[in-house]
Amino acid sequence: MQVWLEPLIKIVLVVLATQAAVAYLVLVERKVAAYMQDRLGPNRVGPWGLFQPIADGAKFILKEELIPAGADRALFLIAPVSILAAATLAFATIPFGYLVPWPGADPIELTIAPKVDIGLLFVFAIGSLGVYGVILGGWASNNKYSLLGGLRSSAQLVSYEIPLGLSVIGVLLFSGSLRLETIITAQAQSGWWWFAVQPLGFLVFMVSGCAEASRLPFDLPECEQELVGGYHTEYTAMKFGMFAFAEYLHLITVAFLTVNLYLGGWHLWGLAPYADEVGWFGAIVRVLVLNIKMLLVILFFMWIRWSWPRFRYDQLMNIAWKVMIPLGVINLLVCAVCQEFLDPKNYLTRAVLGWLAVGGCVLYAALFAHPGKTRLKAPGIT
Amino acid sequence: MATITVDGNDIQVGDDERLNVIQAADRAGVAIPFYCWHPGLSVVASCRMCLVETGMKNKDTGEISMMPKLVPACQTPAKDGTVVVTNSPKVRANQNFVQEGLLLDHPVDCPICDKAGECWLQDYYFSYGHQERRADVRPFTSRKRDLGEHVTLFVDRCVMCSRCVRFTQEVSGGSELLVIDRGSHAEIDVFPGFPLDDQMSGNVNDLCPVGALCSKDFLYQQRVWFMEPHDSVCTRCSTGCSIQLHVSQNQLYRIQPRYNPNANDWWMCDIGRFENESVRAPERLSSIEHRSADSKTGAGFSNRLWPEGLKAVHGALSEIAARTGGSTLAVVLSPFLTCEEAYLLATYAKTISADVVLALGKVPVEGADKTFKSGFTIRAERCPNRLGVEQILRHFQKSVIDWPALLKKVEAGELQGAYVSAGYPVAWIDEAEAAAFERLSLLVVHDILPSPLARKAHYVVPGVSFAEKDGSYVNHSGLIQWGEWGLTPVEGAHVDGQTFSDLLGRKGLYQAASVLKELAGIVPFFARAADGVPQAGLNLVTGTEKHPRTTALGTVTHPLPTFRSVGTAFLETEAVSRNGSNPISG
Amino acid sequence: MQPDSKQIKWVDEPKLGLAGRLYLTPLIDGLSLTARHFFRTARGEGFTRQFPEERPLFGNPLIYRGVHRLNKDEQGRVKCVACFLCATACPAHCIDIIGTESPWADREKYPQSFVIDELRCIFCGMCEEACPVDAIELTSLFDLTGASREEMVFDKEKLLSVYDQTCDLEPMRSRGPAAHSGPPPGKDH
Ligand code: SF4
Ligand code: SF4
Ligand code: FES
Repeated sequence: MQVWLEPLIKIVLVVLATQAAVAYLVLVERKVAAYMQDRLGPNRVGPWGLFQPIADGAKFILKEELIPAGADRALFLIAPVSILAAATLAFATIPFGYLVPWPGADPIELTIAPKVDIGLLFVFAIGSLGVYGVILGGWASNNKYSLLGGLRSSAQLVSYEIPLGLSVIGVLLFSGSLRLETIITAQAQSGWWWFAVQPLGFLVFMVSGCAEASRLPFDLPECEQELVGGYHTEYTAMKFGMFAFAEYLHLITVAFLTVNLYLGGWHLWGLAPYADEVGWFGAIVRVLVLNIKMLLVILFFMWIRWSWPRFRYDQLMNIAWKVMIPLGVINLLVCAVCQEFLDPKNYLTRAVLGWLAVGGCVLYAALFAHPGKTRLKAPGIT
Repeated sequence: MATITVDGNDIQVGDDERLNVIQAADRAGVAIPFYCWHPGLSVVASCRMCLVETGMKNKDTGEISMMPKLVPACQTPAKDGTVVVTNSPKVRANQNFVQEGLLLDHPVDCPICDKAGECWLQDYYFSYGHQERRADVRPFTSRKRDLGEHVTLFVDRCVMCSRCVRFTQEVSGGSELLVIDRGSHAEIDVFPGFPLDDQMSGNVNDLCPVGALCSKDFLYQQRVWFMEPHDSVCTRCSTGCSIQLHVSQNQLYRIQPRYNPNANDWWMCDIGRFENESVRAPERLSSIEHRSADSKTGAGFSNRLWPEGLKAVHGALSEIAARTGGSTLAVVLSPFLTCEEAYLLATYAKTISADVVLALGKVPVEGADKTFKSGFTIRAERCPNRLGVEQILRHFQKSVIDWPALLKKVEAGELQGAYVSAGYPVAWIDEAEAAAFERLSLLVVHDILPSPLARKAHYVVPGVSFAEKDGSYVNHSGLIQWGEWGLTPVEGAHVDGQTFSDLLGRKGLYQAASVLKELAGIVPFFARAADGVPQAGLNLVTGTEKHPRTTALGTVTHPLPTFRSVGTAFLETEAVSRNGSNPISG
Repeated sequence: MQPDSKQIKWVDEPKLGLAGRLYLTPLIDGLSLTARHFFRTARGEGFTRQFPEERPLFGNPLIYRGVHRLNKDEQGRVKCVACFLCATACPAHCIDIIGTESPWADREKYPQSFVIDELRCIFCGMCEEACPVDAIELTSLFDLTGASREEMVFDKEKLLSVYDQTCDLEPMRSRGPAAHSGPPPGKDH
């Protein structure tokens, strides 16, 4: 097969799939929200509201494009493009399946750019480029709410990069590679998914990932009650649509990463065990397993969103710096100790140690942590 | 000093003051309700609303002997030692019964009554009436009777106070109105064939304390509580009645007189009251128009925008003065201009060139002065401010060139250009007179309505009517009065004072009050008005005038809280010197 | 009221247990609550009504405050007497009336024009309260829509037609016709 054709097909496939996925995720999200609130959600366009995304898309395209008078036009236009580009680019090294046999050639790996040794770093690096779009959008709008939203967002993203990075180091240690395919294979070979072995790391990763995707309860950058719409207050029509797209792309990225790093990727005992070579059937099963896992993670994120209230900004920062980073460090320590002193195949002990660390943290919280100590009282009351 | 005790409080009344008990109590801050009494009419004591208990205090012993019966306060003079009780149960009971009696055959159609809101019966019933009406009369529709050109009588609403009848007998003198029938059948009527249509008939509508007499002009038009009053001055003759413009949503709904002992007392004539179409006439001039020199047909007018149009006018005037000399340019000051505007225009004329001819605009005269029985006069001179404009003219060029003299100058070819300010509310110039101006090479007409002269003009500058501008007018006797704007100018027109101050190149908004101050400093005749003009005006000729004094009740607890047909403090009049503490001019 | 007033009862924050301090129970509570509702709706027990197909039911349409109507009397004439009291009471200043002499012998004044700007109206019902002859009423028509602002400015004819449309469903809340007694109705001269 042509050396450029294969990636091209994969790119087209992934981009189309993610775009379609985003469109329908919006519908799913609205449906989920509606059901949780005893409503029915969109149900007028097509059966069960299935054509709603098409209507939404048409609406985005047809709506009036406004650029505020005092806006910095160039940056204003660049912001949504850059954020969308960054979000899409992150998919380059994320595997969405295992291998597909190809007659007369090596099997094809289901990653746009396979065998990138810094795969995970690449995802993180590109993913955090998105913050530029947010800041630019907030700045260029010439609107104080937008600017505040942009500032909040940058502070939040920068803060949560740290626990995010810390949490995955454990995974790297155990898998011995930054390459996402290898991380999956490591889990598949051992039969242990890393979330069971490093529960602390998994927790930190989920929380930070949620914050990185700016999902509720961490959606401070765009919280309507305080900031109108946050950094995209002034954006209309398709430019706003691009921001919304990017947000869901981030969500998908985080879900993929969660599955690949902690939930075994395409591995499922019995159905999709580790194998060097797979046939067509095996390949399809693995793609399905991976994507269903991914979908479940997304559903979980949605469930969270419609269940929990938003944090206050100080709480948000406290969680990053005072809770998540220490937890990430503890996780790292435990993993490093295991890696240094334990037999590489002894996952049971590692898991026990990991859960002991969780228990230790709970114990610490029970004994020493005093949330709510800084209660405000009315003036004059002691 | 006479000491009078009202409800236990002593008040002092000057010896030469002749007050009745209503007025004395008013000074003490006690309101005695009344219908039939009016300070401008004779006292009949027929309504019995004002009954109070009175008595005399023995100066030496301090002993008080009360009269056994209630007496009408309107008819009882307040003498030294008079003791008045206005809130005893007996007095209350009487007021109560009077109210009940009045409502026995009253239609209670307040919702459709135009007086509702300023009706004394309404107000008094709330203050002094029964909680509920005991008579089982349902509201009904009042009979309606046509009394004259301007007056409608709603027969069943009448409380028979006879104020209107006395007015036609004592003030206007026509005696058109009379009471027919007796007792509870008594009604107001006119003799067949003798309707009430003298030129003061509108006043009876104001006098009527209830909704019986209604002005046809205002009938069904607007509810009184929607209207804002604006104190102004009538410009239809040189009496210069003090008036109030009643305005709602930028529309002039009616004009009522305002009490002013120096000009009009409580009254005004029907001309000033009803003939105010010019204020919102659809044909009002509303843009600066420029006629190109070659088309003499009048079809060649084109609209100019304000600042540029005015610049063009200024350019044209200056050009004439520069080309043929200042003395070939005439600036005509209309007697409808306020003093401030006349002053600004004259100043402007003199800035073009010191030789510019200043002339007095046409002074419209209709017939002879018409004096009514009470002395109220409709003057033949149908303009508000001849005296004021003349004083300004005298200051700027010693002699007054009047309209005929100006026409002569025009016809003799002495003039090349003229700026004619007008602002007449009615047609004021005919074709023949206007034709004389055709020979001018520049004619600027500053007017509010189209006229033969405006059609001949090279530039037409739209002005505003009296209701749309602030400013002062000097009436026939030298009384300067202040009028306040009630309406915004029609779209496209600018307040005259603003136009003149723009022409003068002054910056900012035209403020009539500060221009008057400036004028008072420059023209000695106006010196007394430097600190503003009090409500009752200032007589610049004699130097003295009467100022109505506000009583303890002021305007707040007066029987008519919202609108009152006659001025603010109308219960008493007394001459207060301008330097003394005068609460109104304050 | 001062913060130290005796009338104020200050409530202390509830003490959180260990699970609470770890956010654990609240978070799980939240999740389980939404999950319960999710499945309940999925079973078809949601509350949504399919509006245009399913009309809502009013408990008492007489007290609903929807579009206005101008009532007619027994002879089919507009009941309003153009007293402007509704316009006076209206806090939104959306009623504009032009009154004139009525063409009927038994009535004095009537509205030549009666205009309500339904877009400005806040449906407070003050006009209904104010009307002395029960001429203006708010109906239970609630789905008021229009394609332009002009369309939403209801004039007398339109308001009267709302009466025709709703009079069967919602009888007039009249306190009886304005009866006439006293001197015979009609105009002098
Ligand atoms: S419902 Fe309220 S806002 Fe609407 S017209 Fe009546 S009084 Fe005005
Ligand atoms: S309150 Fe009633 S009678 Fe009066 S104007 Fe309004 S609708 Fe007509
Ligand atoms: S006012 Fe005195 S009796 Fe009428």
